[in-house]
Amino acid sequence: MSPALRAFLRSPAGILGVALLVLVLVAAASADWFFPRDPLSLAGRPLQWPGQNPRLLLGTDNLGRDIAGFICHGARVSLLIGLVATVVAVGLGTLVGAIAGFYGGWVDDALMRVTEAFQTVPNFILLLVLVAVFGSELEVITIAIGLVGWTAPCRLVRAEFMSLRTREYVLAARGLGVRDAGLIFREILPNALPPVIVYASVVMAVAILMESALAFLGLSDPNIASWGNMIGAGRSVLRTEWYVSAIPGVAILVTVLAFSLVGQGLNDALNPRLQAV
Amino acid sequence: MHPTRRQVLVAGSALAAGGPAMAQGQPQRGGTLTVQLTSEQRVLNPAIQASTGVYVMASKIVEPLVDLDAQGEPVGVLAERWEGSADGLTHTFHLRRGVTWHDGKPFIAKDVQFSAMECWKKILNYGTTLYQFLEAVQTPDDHTAVFRFSKPMPQGLLLRALPDLGHVIPAHVYEGTDIRTNPANTAPVGTGPFVFKEYQRGQYLIAERNPNYWRGNGQPYLDRIVWRFISDRAAASAALESGQVQFSPYSGLALSDIARLSKDARYTVSTRGNEGNTAHTVMEMNLRRAELAKVEVRRALCHALDLGFFIENFLYGYAKLGTGPIPSSSAPFYVPRPAPYPFDKAKAERMLDDAGYKRPSRGAMRFVQPLKLLPAPWGEYTINFATFIQQSLREIGVRVEIEARDAPGFLTGVYRDHNFDLTTGWHQYRNDPAVSTTVWFRTGSPVGAPWTNQYGYNSPAMDRAIDVAATELDATKRKADYQDFVKLAVDDVPVHCAVEHAFISVYAKRLMGSHNTPRWSSSSWHDAWLAPA
Repeated sequence: MSPALRAFLRSPAGILGVALLVLVLVAAASADWFFPRDPLSLAGRPLQWPGQNPRLLLGTDNLGRDIAGFICHGARVSLLIGLVATVVAVGLGTLVGAIAGFYGGWVDDALMRVTEAFQTVPNFILLLVLVAVFGSELEVITIAIGLVGWTAPCRLVRAEFMSLRTREYVLAARGLGVRDAGLIFREILPNALPPVIVYASVVMAVAILMESALAFLGLSDPNIASWGNMIGAGRSVLRTEWYVSAIPGVAILVTVLAFSLVGQGLNDALNPRLQAV
Repeated sequence: MHPTRRQVLVAGSALAAGGPAMAQGQPQRGGTLTVQLTSEQRVLNPAIQASTGVYVMASKIVEPLVDLDAQGEPVGVLAERWEGSADGLTHTFHLRRGVTWHDGKPFIAKDVQFSAMECWKKILNYGTTLYQFLEAVQTPDDHTAVFRFSKPMPQGLLLRALPDLGHVIPAHVYEGTDIRTNPANTAPVGTGPFVFKEYQRGQYLIAERNPNYWRGNGQPYLDRIVWRFISDRAAASAALESGQVQFSPYSGLALSDIARLSKDARYTVSTRGNEGNTAHTVMEMNLRRAELAKVEVRRALCHALDLGFFIENFLYGYAKLGTGPIPSSSAPFYVPRPAPYPFDKAKAERMLDDAGYKRPSRGAMRFVQPLKLLPAPWGEYTINFATFIQQSLREIGVRVEIEARDAPGFLTGVYRDHNFDLTTGWHQYRNDPAVSTTVWFRTGSPVGAPWTNQYGYNSPAMDRAIDVAATELDATKRKADYQDFVKLAVDDVPVHCAVEHAFISVYAKRLMGSHNTPRWSSSSWHDAWLAPA
């Protein structure tokens, strides 16, 4: 067992996070098996309370959809959005940050001005603009969420690169004739990654929240079973049938919490300052 | 803990029935009526924009020639009496004397002439169609306005159109200016019971009592009316329950809150007083799409919708099945008929099979491309109906993809770019089919005109039926003519008038003298008063 894994397993936050994540993954994986029907279809009379009808475990929402089925199918959508958006955000951020931090000078200046241009616009406002311009299909939304979140990983990677690029082992590699690409990706990047991996869990949690916020405003893809869609639909019956919004709300809470706790655990495991000497 | 729908509905109707009995007693002067509105149109001139959203504010300040009384019959407001020539080409209105504008100038026939020729005929939506054959308005003296038409105008149609399309604005304020940009459009000068005071966009409009109002007798009773723009429906019901607001017109609250408040003894929840503003929740089908160009396919889609279920479970029972473009509330023109497309899933599937759209395999979808559905963003009726259509059509093997848009995006997408296959909408009926109903079916509306035939429906027979009925002077014949129109509209079904509903008013019981005419929310409120809290 590697020391990092052992450290991770010693962190109670990490263990709890993994447990919750497994729960969400099981729900996503078993959705088709337990709920073969289209989650958007009319399952019965709208607004049946949880437990009122044994066939519909968590009741129905105000559009007559089976909430339990919707939650399980929604887990897939949320995980997919979280994963892809994180890959886009961290991938783009790492690339730009690495180049800026490695080369410095005017390259750094130019790339950082671009980054700042993105940072001056509030993330969610930028997301609303992107969705308004490019439409609200699932693919567009996922990539748009990734695009608005790349600046923070970018600055993180740049800072790491700036401190690592003058280390002896980098200079040694350079002296041995290793090209820039090799220095960036083989020498520096592996050492710059731990904080980025920790941060990726935060990006993933934020991505899921952002999609939910979009859906809450009625601007997400209405043809998919996303948790935010159900919260948005349930808003009009909040005073009487609060469970319609509360159940998907809990699902989002659990998922976001899972990713945050896993990130905490990773931080415990990968942060050299916290490691036992 | 959670009452069933049926209990809610029974409680609601019982309270609605108990309302009128309480509305007795001596009117009292004074008090401020605060009204909640979901949105604002930023125009307060009903002579250039015909919309309930304009009337609900501006018609307290600016008055029409004619309104409807409690029985739905035309009653004079700025016109005292009228007569029409036998050929329907001339209509003479004798105007009320001694009426003054809020700025002190006298109200004269020239104001009527100016409003009719420059605003109703040239700018006002629906008015441009209704008054297209209005040749001139003559003013033999200051208190007579003679309308001359080049084609016959049925008197009944004119009188039923005037409450909506007949508001008079002062010529001396507008003459020689650009009417569309005149500042009086947001600071109106009228003859009504309330005088414009202050308008803050996005926040409120205030109008105060007109002490010189022509009706006299202590009217109007209210000191002031405040309209507050509260778009969030949860906040709107909270404002009503905390007593900050006394009246929410035009189904402005969430349906679940309406059902909840109908059990609260402090409020009246009713469609009474809105009979003249009946609307249909409709499904519009774009005939430019190859599959939807076939009438059998359109009929099959209509048969797939279990509208009874939709009304009971999605609309809390506050609606009924639509039977055609003329609603059952229109006594002069409605002939009872059954709902044309009863729910029949098997029949719908069979019709699609016969039309050549068999399922490729069991459980597979029939059309290669899914149908693109743009839900009208007018609240729960149209948005939930879109979801219900998506759910229902999937059952007969037709995949529907919903594309949600905001109001401007929806209006341009549907009515200008025609970039849709299906859309939901609200179509409002205004007292006579020729006012704002037949334009949904006749060709010739300019591209981009909202709430008109923009689905590529083109039927010479339909155009003819509409034109014949609009110029028929005999009321009995005219009613019969409109049955031809209804039959064509229902058979060809470019628009499915699926659900008929009146708007729901929610108001504090202390609001008296209200909801006593068929279009009360759009009327002048001169006799409304507030009982002590």
